[in-house]
Amino acid sequence: MKLHVSTGPHVLTREVTQTLMLDVLIALAPTTVAGVYLFGLRAAWVICVSVIAAMISEYVWQKLMKQKASIKDLSAIVTGLILGLNLPSGVPLWMAALASAIAIILVKQLFGGIGNNFMNPAMFGRAFLLASWPARMTSFFLPERLLGNSQAAFGVDMISGATPLVPQKLGITLDIPLSDLLLGNIPGSIGEVCKIAILIGLVYMLVVKVISWHIPVFFVGSVALLSWLLGNDPLIAILSGGVLFGAVFMATDYATNPMQKIGHIIFGIGCGTMVVVIRKWGNYPEGVTYAILFMNCLTPLIDRLSSRRVYGMVKNHV
Amino acid sequence: MSKFSFRGGIHPLHDTHEGKDLTRNKPVRAYASKIVTIPMDMHIGAPSNPIVKKGEQVLLGQVIAEAVGGIGIPVHASVSGTVTDVSAKIMMRKVPSMCITIENNGLDEWIPLNPLGSVESADSTKIIQAIKAAGICGMGGACFPTHIKMSPPPDKQVDIIILNGAECETYLTADFRLMLEQPQKVVDGLRIAMRAMNVKRGLIGIEDNKPEAIDAIKKAAAGRDDIEVCTLKTKYPQGGEKQLIKALINKEVPAGGLPADAGAVVLNVATAAAIRDAVVEGMPLINRITTVTGKVKEPDNLLLPIGTLVNEAVEACGGYSQEPGKIFFGGSMTGICAPNEEASVTKANNGLVVFNEKEAIIPPEDNCIRCSRCIYACPVYLNPYAMKKAFDMDKMDVLENKLNVKECILCGACSYICPSHQYLTPAFKDAKDIIAARRVSK
Repeated sequence: MKLHVSTGPHVLTREVTQTLMLDVLIALAPTTVAGVYLFGLRAAWVICVSVIAAMISEYVWQKLMKQKASIKDLSAIVTGLILGLNLPSGVPLWMAALASAIAIILVKQLFGGIGNNFMNPAMFGRAFLLASWPARMTSFFLPERLLGNSQAAFGVDMISGATPLVPQKLGITLDIPLSDLLLGNIPGSIGEVCKIAILIGLVYMLVVKVISWHIPVFFVGSVALLSWLLGNDPLIAILSGGVLFGAVFMATDYATNPMQKIGHIIFGIGCGTMVVVIRKWGNYPEGVTYAILFMNCLTPLIDRLSSRRVYGMVKNHV
Repeated sequence: MSKFSFRGGIHPLHDTHEGKDLTRNKPVRAYASKIVTIPMDMHIGAPSNPIVKKGEQVLLGQVIAEAVGGIGIPVHASVSGTVTDVSAKIMMRKVPSMCITIENNGLDEWIPLNPLGSVESADSTKIIQAIKAAGICGMGGACFPTHIKMSPPPDKQVDIIILNGAECETYLTADFRLMLEQPQKVVDGLRIAMRAMNVKRGLIGIEDNKPEAIDAIKKAAAGRDDIEVCTLKTKYPQGGEKQLIKALINKEVPAGGLPADAGAVVLNVATAAAIRDAVVEGMPLINRITTVTGKVKEPDNLLLPIGTLVNEAVEACGGYSQEPGKIFFGGSMTGICAPNEEASVTKANNGLVVFNEKEAIIPPEDNCIRCSRCIYACPVYLNPYAMKKAFDMDKMDVLENKLNVKECILCGACSYICPSHQYLTPAFKDAKDIIAARRVSK
């Protein structure tokens, strides 16, 4: 009889990378459905192309490099889906595919695959498009089902327009009803407009404990607080752009945020502050993408500096 | 009612009630082993010195090996019969252990016993000596000689004795059955220990997944103002000495210190029962309750003579129900693997678990996804993520001086919770061994 001998533990949790990614996909489902509903079939195409491009990029790259295929962990699908939801519905499909390939190959695989990337791949893919084709990335289709007062605000004939943040930056106050902000009756990226759907996803992820509340709360909270201090409407600040989507689905990316609770808090506040700084003093009306990428780069530093007291020790070494 | 708990920790096998359902309702059954192989190095401290020879007849409870050194304890015959072998064998350690093998003649002939007296009347100055003479060591798994634990350095003021009835480890129900069936023994053991150490306060901590045991112990301790029964939250490792102290009296054992530095001594409930038997009956520690479970036909709680072989313990439970792939002593979080079926039950073995081949295989490591679960789970607030990175890069100095790996209690919580199956606890065990070996060689 041959017996295995190993150091404990001899049992492991059933929760693996794949199940965590599946939970993220489930949390993204309401946002995806809402995005397709609001922006129509065109949005579905953008999402499909970015997801499939992400999967193919990862598979082909790992085949070429003779690495173990990790397609089953679902992380490429998550990256592709988040990227797709971050694009305007009118973006050319080849741009979606290109951004996906760059996200997976340049940001994720070249740094060692899942867990080793230092920037959020989807975020970088979007930033790449934003820097390369700024006009195409900032002209948003109005939701096909745009109803009510917003129509008057944006003009009935418009087929594309800027997010509500643009007028705000120009000092124009738009009178958009709160219900439109929450339901997504405003121009924007496919996934960022419907805040209700994002909040459902957030609640799901908190309930199944995929993420903790610290980053979303401190991110959104600091945006609201700082916007208010700068004289802007805090509700518009958090509900009109990509803050909520970024805080819930992108700043919470495990690989690119700090490990400790105190690090999560610093990271959330840092993201929120950067968003407000870029919106107020930068050239862009929106700053979520660059804010998160900036804080991604600070994550190793935050990890290095954050420590906690070890049981039985008076003071912990950094 | 508020429940006592600590920060961190996990809920292993939560959906199957920690695997305890298999044996929860099985009353303790005494089993007479045909043959026992008793290692001399069961306890922490110098191995005992055999004083019997091959062919000699021994009686139940007879001293067969003397204590060596200050920390050592004697070993007693756990069956009556003939000594058939005194030799070094590979048991649970990497190096061979000196073992005494006795064949049971089935007569159960005892040596004359010399009890110290009843719970109230026993001479309190002689109790600790009686505990040493009975060969008692920590029966929760660590096997640290109890008489040493109960003799803290004179500058440390111990004002509380905590009985550990948490039994947070998966699969095990040995302590549960003991508390349920013999609660008076446990409470009496605590009272004797309190008298011996002149301590006026005793706590008994039991996890809330054992309400019947809580009731039984409460009944047994009824009317005693100096003993309090505390309900603990079911969470692993609630029964870790440091976690239990934190949970019950909200104090921390200083790094590198003893529980006595926090004013407490922690004893397992089985150890308390053994103390009672040693003092009131004069009985040495020759058997213990062991949960034999997993892939055996009739999982059971057995009262086994110390030294019972794995194959005989399994046989007592109807044999294997599936081809075994792994057999370990203890629960599935910290259990120590038996290299073969000839390993034997020691004073520390509260469980013997059989896994089939499928359960035995630990999946390979995937990439760490930095999910922070290990950090949240660590009950001593370490950073397992950073520790594993340092270990993989062979940075032992960083592990020792900056990441405090020596404070790791090897509970396995981080490894259990890791979604990418990183070998965290094994790495930290290796690191601790390497650092300890370096210190010795310096």
